[in-house]
Formats: sequence, structure tokens, C-alpha cells
Amino acid sequence: MSLETGVCATAAAVRTGERSAVEVVQEALTRIAVRDGAINAFTTVTEERALTAATAVDAQRAAGRDPGPLAGVPFAVKNLYDIANIATVAGSHIDLDRAPASRDAALVRHLAEHGAVLVGALNMDEYAYGFSTENSHYGATRNPHDPARVAGGSSGGSAAAVAASVVPLALGSDTNGSIRVPAALCGVFGLRPTFGRLSRAGMRLFASSLDVGGPFARSVEDLAIAYDALQGADPDDAACTMRPPEPVTQILRQGLGGIRIAVATGYFSSQGVPDAFAAVERVAAALGASHRIEVPAAGLARAAAMIVTSVEGAELHLPDLIARGPEFDPMTRARFLAGALAPGAWYSHAQRLRRWYCQELTKLFRNVDVVLAPATPYPAFPIGQGLIDLGGQQLPAAGHLGVFTQPFSFAGLPTLAAPVAQTGSLPLGVQIVAAPWREDIAFRVAAAAEELGVLVSSPPIAS
Amino acid sequence: MAEPFDPALYVPQAAAALGLPLAPEDLGDVISAFAVLARVAGPVMAFPLPEELIAAAVFIPGERARG
Repeated sequence: MSLETGVCATAAAVRTGERSAVEVVQEALTRIAVRDGAINAFTTVTEERALTAATAVDAQRAAGRDPGPLAGVPFAVKNLYDIANIATVAGSHIDLDRAPASRDAALVRHLAEHGAVLVGALNMDEYAYGFSTENSHYGATRNPHDPARVAGGSSGGSAAAVAASVVPLALGSDTNGSIRVPAALCGVFGLRPTFGRLSRAGMRLFASSLDVGGPFARSVEDLAIAYDALQGADPDDAACTMRPPEPVTQILRQGLGGIRIAVATGYFSSQGVPDAFAAVERVAAALGASHRIEVPAAGLARAAAMIVTSVEGAELHLPDLIARGPEFDPMTRARFLAGALAPGAWYSHAQRLRRWYCQELTKLFRNVDVVLAPATPYPAFPIGQGLIDLGGQQLPAAGHLGVFTQPFSFAGLPTLAAPVAQTGSLPLGVQIVAAPWREDIAFRVAAAAEELGVLVSSPPIAS
Repeated sequence: MAEPFDPALYVPQAAAALGLPLAPEDLGDVISAFAVLARVAGPVMAFPLPEELIAAAVFIPGERARG
């Protein structure tokens, strides 16, 4: 058995004693050493800590205690998550000067408390401001399906590490699509939970009214067990819900009975390549979903999300923009500086428009339970490509990747990004979008589609 | 009628108001990035909203002691 079997199988093997946690973690460390050179997903490997934690998991089992549902599962996190005793760099050089974190981020602690073992930190766009993980300081993360192409971003290291089967589980963050875009381009599952569902304590934020953390895995079941472990109220994050956890692992196989599924049309059926829309249609056909729905003002929502993001992101980094501007990544610097200069009325109006838009989507979810939409407008493009041609229009290749993700995150909706089977040589994904706090419905639809064979995380040929 | 907007005039002045230094080699890129933002903001600002609609982010005093 190897880590290719995923989160649940690995935990089961450790829990039954078929494998030791130390053996599993050593295998993950070997994979990092052997495979990461080709994809550049890892920025830090926490070998000593990992072996200590794995030894503790084995000792727990040996003492007859439950080592947890994620016993011995190696995982890694986007390098904006605090890891005790390591400076949290969030893809920057500037923050190498920061004091090491005093403790792990809340979500890292949750996974560790469930038996999972942290093996390292992962590459990202600087301060999460990007969709391609082309980081000038740490190098671009490469797509395991074609190392000449981007992994997507900003959680590109997380998606690539899972896609290349280096680890079965990783954490990323999503402000405008930073979990869903790389999940789609690397062909893995990724969850952006409802805004406020999971604690962000100990995460370096980017745009705090939009940011969420979430997991990546290679199957719906693996994503579900991780998501369940991540839940829990946290007074250390002012945005974190006080709702009790609503686990999904037990309801995955409840089927589609009563779930109304619609395909997003209009805005979500243009501005991309035909294959991206065909992938969504294949999922819809397999699920028997023929209903179409127009998401109102999706383009306006995306525009308002861009304003909110640029203003919140710039304000957060303003002291460094003033004192250390030249040390920002050239890939993010001009956008951060421009965001700092936006008139206040733009921001306030965008946040008021957001409330109107949320009300409109509440009406939409009276008639449907799930909306299907493409995750990205095209598959991974070559690293370094600045513009992309779409029907004669030249668009920023990285910036346009978020065209279909931003309208859903602006409303805080839970969205599961899933890899569609047989999309050709490069992966493409679908977004399964549900009403606020209804991750359970998105998971049920994903599980049904996976069982039908239309969603699958295919390993890269190179691995 | 308002003057046509020129980001090349606005950007250096707004940066000065914030005490934000702009390196000469960055100025062109920042002006371009601001022009993109201004283009994006156009339809957002043109979208009328009722006065009673409050911002999506709501402040609740005292709700979370440690937040």
C-alpha cells in the first residue's frame, strides 16, 4: 500500500496497525525529496517535527488509545498558515524577517488533533494575490500534468502536491478562487467552505471579508473527512461561525433524492474555451440535470470583488508598501500599490452592492439547491504567458482565471471544485455551488457524480 | 460635466497623500493597474443601490472578545 491510496485508506492502515505512522510519514518525506524538484510545491519540509508527531501517533495506538480518524495522514499547508517555530512568509521575502510563529494555525491544530502529521509548507502567489503561483522569490510551482504549465493559484503548491501524490491532503486558502482554480488546473478536489465556516486564526489574511481556508484531496470521501476535522467555532477569528460542526462524512452516500441541480448559463457559458463548458455539461448530463439558471449580476459581483480585494489587500500591507515597496514581488507590486490609491466610495459601494447581490442569490436558492459552473475558463497555460486569446480578445492569462469563481465567493457560498473525467490531456474542473451553510448538499452531489464516474482525480502520467 | 479621468495625474498625487513612495520604474505599471481598477469600478459605481442597504460586513460590538 502507498500514499496513492489517499487519506481514508492511509488512516485505516495506520489505525489497524497494517502500517506505522512513522513508515507512512517517511514515505511522504521520500516522495518530497524525489518528486518536488519537478513541481516546486514545497518551500519548507518539517521533517523532524513530522517524525516526532508520527512517533507519537504510533505510541498512542500502541497504548491502546484512539490515534484519531486521520491517524498518520501526512499533510502540508500553504505557507500563509502559521507553523510553530517557523516564520510565516505568505509567499513573500519581506516576511522572512518576521518572528517565528508561536503556535500552529487553528486549522493545522485541528488536523493534528485528529492524528494527521504536518510534513511541510507550500508555495503560493505572494500574499495570495494571484491565480497562477508564478512567484518570483520562490519560483513558479509547476503543474504535475505538464511541468511547463502553471499549477493555478494562489494555493498552487497545495494543489500540485496533492495532484502529484506527494501528500494525500493539503490546506489552501481562497479569497476569489485560490482553492478552486488550482484544484481545477491540477485535477484534484478542493473545497471553499461557506465564509466563516472554518477558523482563520493563525492564517495570514489577504482580503479579510473574503478569505476562507479549505482542504484539497484526491477523492470526495478524503475531502469530506478532512473538512469534518477542520470544523469548530473559534473566538480567535471574528468571522468564524458559532454554529456547531455539521459533519458530512456520514451523509455522503445519501444520493441525490430531492436535490434540485441547475447549470449556470449566460455569464457562465461564455468567456472561456468550449472544453470548459463541455466538461460542465458532461457532469450535468450524468446527474440528469437539465435545468438552466442565470446568476444575476455575476459580472458586477466579480468587479465589486476585485475592488474589495484590492483595497483590503493593499491596506493590510500598506506599512510595507511604504517602507519596503521594492521588495514586493514584481508579479504583485503594481496591483498592491494601485489598490492603496482607490477612493473610499468605491470600497463602500462595492460592500453595499455585495449585500444586494447576496439577497439576489438567496432568491435564486429558493428555486435550486445546487448550481454547476465551470471552475476556470481554460486549462493550465504555459508558465510565463502574459496574455491569452479568447475569441480574438486578449485577456490577462492569470487574472482571467478567476472569472467564474469570483461571483460565488463574493456571496460567501460553499463551493466544491471537482475534476471532470476525460477532459483531454489537461484537467478541467466544475464548481458545485450550494446555498450558505449547505456544504452537505455540495458534498452529496459531488459524491454521486464521482460514483457515476464523471468526476475523477486522474494521476498525472509523469507520476 | 466632470473632467475626463487621467490616472497618470491621479496616481502620483494620491500616492503622495498616503505618503506612499512610487519608484520611477514602477510608475507606469501602477498607473496601468489603477486604470484597470477604475475601469472595473465604473459599472459598480453606476449601479444604483437603495440608501438603506448597508455594507455586507457588519460590526457587532462586544460579540467576540478575542476576535
